[in-house]
Amino acid sequence: MEFPTQLLYPIDQVLLALMIFSIMFGMGSSLTVDDFKTVARYPRGILIGFLSQFGLMPLFALGLAVVLELPPAYAIALILIGCLPGGTTSNMFAYFARGSVALSIAMTTASTVMALMMMPLLLELYTAGFTEAVSEEMTAAGADAEFVIPTGNIITSLFLVLVPVAMGMFLRAKSRVWAKTAEDTAGFMGIIVIIYLIGTAFARHSGLMLQTPGSIYIAAICVGLLGFLFGYWMSWLFRLSPIFQRAISLETGIQNGPIAFAIILLSFAEPVQSQMLWLAILYSTFIVITSSFITLYYRRVGKLDYEVYKNTSIHNRLFGEDYVTGYPEGFLPKRIKNDPSQGSTPSQKRD
Amino acid sequence: MDNRILANNMADLYREAARRYKSLPAFATRRKKLEWDPVSFEELYERGLNLATGLIEMGVDAREHVGLFADNRFEWILADCAVQLCGAVDVPRGRDITDGELIYIINHAEIRVTFVENETLLERIESLRPELPELQQIILLESTGDTSEGVHKHEDVIKLGQSLRKQGDTRAEERIAGIQPDDLFTLIYTSGTTGKPKGVMLTHANMMSQVKVIPIELNCTDRVLSILPIWHIFERVFEVFTISCGVCTYYSNIRFLADDLKNVEPTFMGSAPRLWESLYHKIRKRVGESHWMRQLLFHTAYFLSRQYMNSLYFLLGSDLKLKEVSKLKRTLLLPLHALRWILVLPVYGFFNVAVLEPVRLSAGGSLKATISGGGALPVEIDRFFNYIGIPVLEGYGMTETSPVIAVREEDDIVIGTVGPLVDHTEVRIVDLESGKTLYPNPELPDNGRGLRGEIYVKGPQVMKGYYKDDEQTAKTIQGSWLRTGDLGMITFNDCLKILGRSKSTVVLLSGENLEPEPIEMRLTQSVYIDHCILVGQDKKHVGALIVPSLEGFKDNGLHVPTLEELSKNENAQKVIRTEIKKMISISNGFKSFELVKDFRLLSEDFTVGDELTSLFKMKRHIIHDKYSGLIEEMYQQESAEVT
Repeated sequence: MEFPTQLLYPIDQVLLALMIFSIMFGMGSSLTVDDFKTVARYPRGILIGFLSQFGLMPLFALGLAVVLELPPAYAIALILIGCLPGGTTSNMFAYFARGSVALSIAMTTASTVMALMMMPLLLELYTAGFTEAVSEEMTAAGADAEFVIPTGNIITSLFLVLVPVAMGMFLRAKSRVWAKTAEDTAGFMGIIVIIYLIGTAFARHSGLMLQTPGSIYIAAICVGLLGFLFGYWMSWLFRLSPIFQRAISLETGIQNGPIAFAIILLSFAEPVQSQMLWLAILYSTFIVITSSFITLYYRRVGKLDYEVYKNTSIHNRLFGEDYVTGYPEGFLPKRIKNDPSQGSTPSQKRD
Repeated sequence: MDNRILANNMADLYREAARRYKSLPAFATRRKKLEWDPVSFEELYERGLNLATGLIEMGVDAREHVGLFADNRFEWILADCAVQLCGAVDVPRGRDITDGELIYIINHAEIRVTFVENETLLERIESLRPELPELQQIILLESTGDTSEGVHKHEDVIKLGQSLRKQGDTRAEERIAGIQPDDLFTLIYTSGTTGKPKGVMLTHANMMSQVKVIPIELNCTDRVLSILPIWHIFERVFEVFTISCGVCTYYSNIRFLADDLKNVEPTFMGSAPRLWESLYHKIRKRVGESHWMRQLLFHTAYFLSRQYMNSLYFLLGSDLKLKEVSKLKRTLLLPLHALRWILVLPVYGFFNVAVLEPVRLSAGGSLKATISGGGALPVEIDRFFNYIGIPVLEGYGMTETSPVIAVREEDDIVIGTVGPLVDHTEVRIVDLESGKTLYPNPELPDNGRGLRGEIYVKGPQVMKGYYKDDEQTAKTIQGSWLRTGDLGMITFNDCLKILGRSKSTVVLLSGENLEPEPIEMRLTQSVYIDHCILVGQDKKHVGALIVPSLEGFKDNGLHVPTLEELSKNENAQKVIRTEIKKMISISNGFKSFELVKDFRLLSEDFTVGDELTSLFKMKRHIIHDKYSGLIEEMYQQESAEVT
């Protein structure tokens, strides 16, 4: 599949940059110093989240690329997506999926910071086979440059992306109300720009959707789904409580798309750039749909355990930390222990 | 998973709840914002048994009427529990009871023993002692100092019962075993519509049938915030229902409501329309004050939600159906609604999550549904809450039906109605003029749906009668049918729609019951006024429609040939305004909610056969219908002036 022209016109690139900026700014606006402290409060959850985010996800991406025999540029993009830190939307999905929002925020925070180190390392490790293939393609096409993963550029882009996050945090520390507005505006703008980009991609490259081979769709959809599935199993294996399981599952599957866009735009050039962007766009589109369904599903299955958790924590809030709620025998399903410590976790963050 | 306890009587319910829910909190009392005292089901039952034994020792007989004059607090429930456990009947009223009502109720119900909330109320009763010959013992629910002869602290009565039970006293248990379903559990005096209060006799079977049919599912992870007066049947049935479901009730009040909504995060709540109205205004105000970007987001979200919900209601068949709609029209509309629903769904989904959820959080965030009763909920407020995703289950009932007759169901909300009838309940719609049954009537098209008339009810919740008032009982219960005095119709999707009252009582938005006749009678004594009818059902205050007297004005020097001209005359308006102010004032003995705030002069006289019966009584609903436009205009203009 060939891209006749650049996938994005300069105006789109500006828009995309604006979106990245505002989304990352919005992410910062929702963060406080306390969120970093929360990271320390959930060491187990964070560790398991870390394992599934930086351990499992890149592996799935690599596995999918190999099994589906993706063209090298797509393979690199998929692995790049696999190595991304968690996205801000995961917090919102965790909230509606009746998962632990505090853990979700802590994981997003931790993984964004960790990404500075982990991403270059993982990319180097997993993309080795594909960079050569790209180089060969380029040589065959007559270019005399060799394709390498631009590690330095990637680190720079990551830093650049973190600047608006820091600005957002600063705003949040100054004015809560404005930060809230910034956060919502960012979420809204993100959706608008994504819809615009998909729309224009459709309009300008009619047939692009049809030309794209099925394997690329499968890869874009499955990488997220595998993340949800294994994130859930992994935390189940470690016997975390259901609200943590749901948070980790969503956090693993939902990656920070805007960072992928930033890295691709800033660090990669044609001919791979357009192909990589296309996969990132596909991933960003499908992940919204799949996580909506997963969230609806979690919401249903998690109803009882969430309500027990909520009720217990409100009892602790009102009747004292050491109050133990004694549910009648047979009321709680086997998996939910009547554990008073469950209630002493800080209540769900959302204001 | 419905696990409510179905018991034979109230005492059984308290006992079974203690057995099943054990240490779960049953009631919680606020000490500070974040400090609440829980009492478990076991504790409640245990203390109730002790108090009951104490009461028996004090001489309370089975089926005796015990007074309970207090507002919402845990001790109220404890007292109720004790009264039930000793097989007696409580006669509840709040602290706002007047001296006249105290005397009437205590004497009429032959109360010998009464619970009294605090020393202030005790002093009032003591000062009325000469007029209360039968009252012997008073138990204080809240006491600081020493008590005098015949007055006991409730703790002391509990201690008395406790020591007796330690010695093997099982009289309370025996009393429980002796309770019959047909025995009264409470005698509620409704604040008088015409003069004296009436004692509504409700039986254990009445209340237990309600627990069975309430179409709401709660379990022991739910939290209910209580703000309505507990002696009111609407709140009472709720507390009984929450006990049967193992739900903890948190006692709040209007002053702390905002805080408590945030901290308790109730999952369910019952309230009167007034609360929903104030919450509605608060939310609108907050939106109005926010950043323009957020306002825009909110209005977009609300718009989308309206589109989405309306199509959803149509698809579910839950739109308001007052008239028969042809199948063809519905079939044609169906794909359009389905299309709109599908198209709006994804965008609505986003806005629901991003914009409406924070709005819902301002109402605690955990509310699964809410119930509104005790008056009609203004339709725009009803819509607002349902559109933003807080389902409002409006219900209909009265003290005489303990109280629920109909209530909306969570998954099938028809806005504009009070939902389908609860199980085992039958309704008749009876024509006001002819007394003919309109619904169910197979001779009429659609069995009589869509026709308006007075609502008659039959079912297990209908009271035994009015205490010692056979005349009123016979007037209200005819055969096995209870006349509600309300106007209504059955919609085409089998919901009950309330259309007003056939009785003349005007219920203001604040819930105050207003008897218009005395005021109207007073006003028609003015030489300037021929006829006068008060309006204001579900409105903020009372208004009047007045037929001015041509004669009266002529006699006093204002010569106008026709009523039409007189009704537009500015001088006449002024004269009548001062007349109303003079006649209906607080210094003349009227209450503040009875003051007539606005009026309209009518340009046509009332005529016999139309607006008047042959006995010159006003046909209120006909006048209301005829001048509904004028009435609406009067209230609209005012709300415009106020804001």
